[in-house]
Amino acid sequence: MRKFSRLFLASLLVFALIFTIVGCGGPAEEKVLKVGTNATFPPFEMQENNEFTGFDMDLIRAIGEEQGYKVEINHMDFKALIPALGNNKIHAAIAGMSITPERLESVDFTDAYFNAGLIIAVANSNDTIKSTEDLKGKKLAAQNGTIGAAYCDSVKEQDPNTVVRVFDDIGAAFMELEKGGVDAVVNDHPVTAYYLKTTETTKAKMVGDIFSADDQYGIAVKKGNQEILDMLNEGLQKIRDNGKYDEIYKKWF
Amino acid sequence: MPCLELFNLGFLDSITSQYGYKVVMQNLGYFLGGAWYTTFITALALAMGMVLGLFAGLGKLSSNRLIYSLSTAYIDFFRGTPLFVQIFLLYFGVLPLIYYNDPISSAIIALGLNSGAYIGEIVRAGIQAVDTGQMEAARSLGMNQRQAMTYVILPQAFKIVIPPMINEFIALLKDSSLVSAITVPELMHRGDLVFANTYQATWVFGAIAVIYFVITKTISVLGDWVERRLATD
Amino acid sequence: MIKVVNLHKSFGQLHVLKGVNFSVAPSEVVCVIGPSGSGKSTLLRCINQLETADSGHVYIDGEELTHPKTDINQIRQQVGMVFQLFNLFPHKTTLENITLAPIKIKGLDKSAAENRAMDLLGKVGLTDKAHVYPSKLSGGQKQRVAIARALAMQPKVMLFDEPTSALDPEMVGEVLAVMQNLAVEGMTMVVVTHEMGFAREVGDRVVFMDEGIIVEEGSPDDIFDNPRNPRTQAFLSKVL
Repeated sequence: MRKFSRLFLASLLVFALIFTIVGCGGPAEEKVLKVGTNATFPPFEMQENNEFTGFDMDLIRAIGEEQGYKVEINHMDFKALIPALGNNKIHAAIAGMSITPERLESVDFTDAYFNAGLIIAVANSNDTIKSTEDLKGKKLAAQNGTIGAAYCDSVKEQDPNTVVRVFDDIGAAFMELEKGGVDAVVNDHPVTAYYLKTTETTKAKMVGDIFSADDQYGIAVKKGNQEILDMLNEGLQKIRDNGKYDEIYKKWF
Repeated sequence: MPCLELFNLGFLDSITSQYGYKVVMQNLGYFLGGAWYTTFITALALAMGMVLGLFAGLGKLSSNRLIYSLSTAYIDFFRGTPLFVQIFLLYFGVLPLIYYNDPISSAIIALGLNSGAYIGEIVRAGIQAVDTGQMEAARSLGMNQRQAMTYVILPQAFKIVIPPMINEFIALLKDSSLVSAITVPELMHRGDLVFANTYQATWVFGAIAVIYFVITKTISVLGDWVERRLATD
Repeated sequence: MIKVVNLHKSFGQLHVLKGVNFSVAPSEVVCVIGPSGSGKSTLLRCINQLETADSGHVYIDGEELTHPKTDINQIRQQVGMVFQLFNLFPHKTTLENITLAPIKIKGLDKSAAENRAMDLLGKVGLTDKAHVYPSKLSGGQKQRVAIARALAMQPKVMLFDEPTSALDPEMVGEVLAVMQNLAVEGMTMVVVTHEMGFAREVGDRVVFMDEGIIVEEGSPDDIFDNPRNPRTQAFLSKVL
């Protein structure tokens, strides 16, 4: 038995050696930007045929290209994005994240890359809700982590009779609307518009004007990671300057 | 001891000054309110599950073909499909058909149906674990099936099923976190909301986990106490 | 009192009772002996239908047990059974074990049932154990309680399935003594046993079974002193 285990140990060491040698060699070092996203937020990020598409996806790839990085996109649960930044599993997270003072305590954001406004959606048959004034005291649905959810909370502060239901998924919020569980969905305008367009739903419509247009999206990086932050900001500026940003914007909106 | 004091102060400060700590402390009452919902919903769902489970478990032991098939179908379906899917189907699919929209009671129903299937198996196994000689003695005295079950078998099965029942309570409590998806204001949902606003994953979910643990540990300890109280041998 | 006609019983492929004819007169004490696997326990259990025979008939005091329209629970109230492994109800005290059936089945009120139970406990010598749980009793005590429990329903017949086989030797005597008293009082009894001494002393008739049939039967003297069948002789030579 002793002879066997020595032989086993020896072969293990040999294999380890071989792997390190092979691993250390290989092609020239490529700069890789590992990006995390939660691809359930169309039109900013979604999955189609195993590919990540959406405004955010095109944007981060353009920035990567501009700055000489190969962009690797990983999809994960929204809750997992922040810890993944913290553990350096990803360098950046782009997921329609709105920049807020509270969040700035936990992560660093690049300059804003998108200004979103909010819009109200109601059931087709609803004629009572026409603007933000009509939201008081009603049953509202919003998506978790969006400024829409924060707005609904502020309505509730003004009128405690307001019911606010916060869903993880925009689809679920609309299902709730369609079955009459809530009177209105308050969410980022691009997301709502895209949802209504692509699902061809005849049961909901947008009402009123776009409001709260000071909601800004940023790319999140680990707090203190100045190198990546600067790189991304630089890249963002470049694609604004050379028209790539407008190109992507026109594609999606 | 002065050195220790200095050390402690510095250490504590480094924790309490952290943003995450502040977030948790500010929301502690909010979280505990969620814990109350979680416990309340789980307890009601478990009660519903115990009733359903008793019938389902007895049904699986029945010689009546119809009763047996119904019980088996119920248990197989709710044990064989993901709880998350059951919650969604019930809340967005079935209940709207009767215009029923309340998320909290929908959650209790979904959790109760699911739990009833698992408890049905626990009940069945518990009854079968009672020594067959007991049924023979009861029947040979002239008791019919119902009397034998009620006075001899079920009271003994009851003691047998307490440990698995406690486990089911704890499992259900943790599974109840899934109803956050239909916006029930329980512990997990409240954690999700606070996280989304602050991005403090470790602190927020760490605190949530601690609260869940305190609840499950309490149930566990209570269960041990109940077991000991009921032991006559 | 008991009549068994041409009883057949198989467990799967195993043919355990191969046409047994058997009868017991009132107040008769019949001891059934034989090697294991001979079918003696199965025969006993067919008498109160804990096992259902494949074919044949069983009659208790004229009523046919095996008839589909018979209320088996009614008949079982007249047939008391004592098991090898006692089968006392562990979640009930000694007294409660004895009063349970009379209260729930016969509708006796609690004090009447308890009076009867205490009398029976007196008969088996265990009045001081009335409020004790079975787990605290010795094997011999448990079996005596089991006998009292069966007697509480005032049966016409008492069946004993190897009542002392699971007992330590020093406790066998106390149980056999109770059974002997019962016999003296005139109870009709069928006892499956290996206690040859008891069979000889107390039995009115001894039945020897082997491989699913009754090989030989007769008075204890006949069977033990003058067994005619070679199989009986072979068995007895091993156990006596």
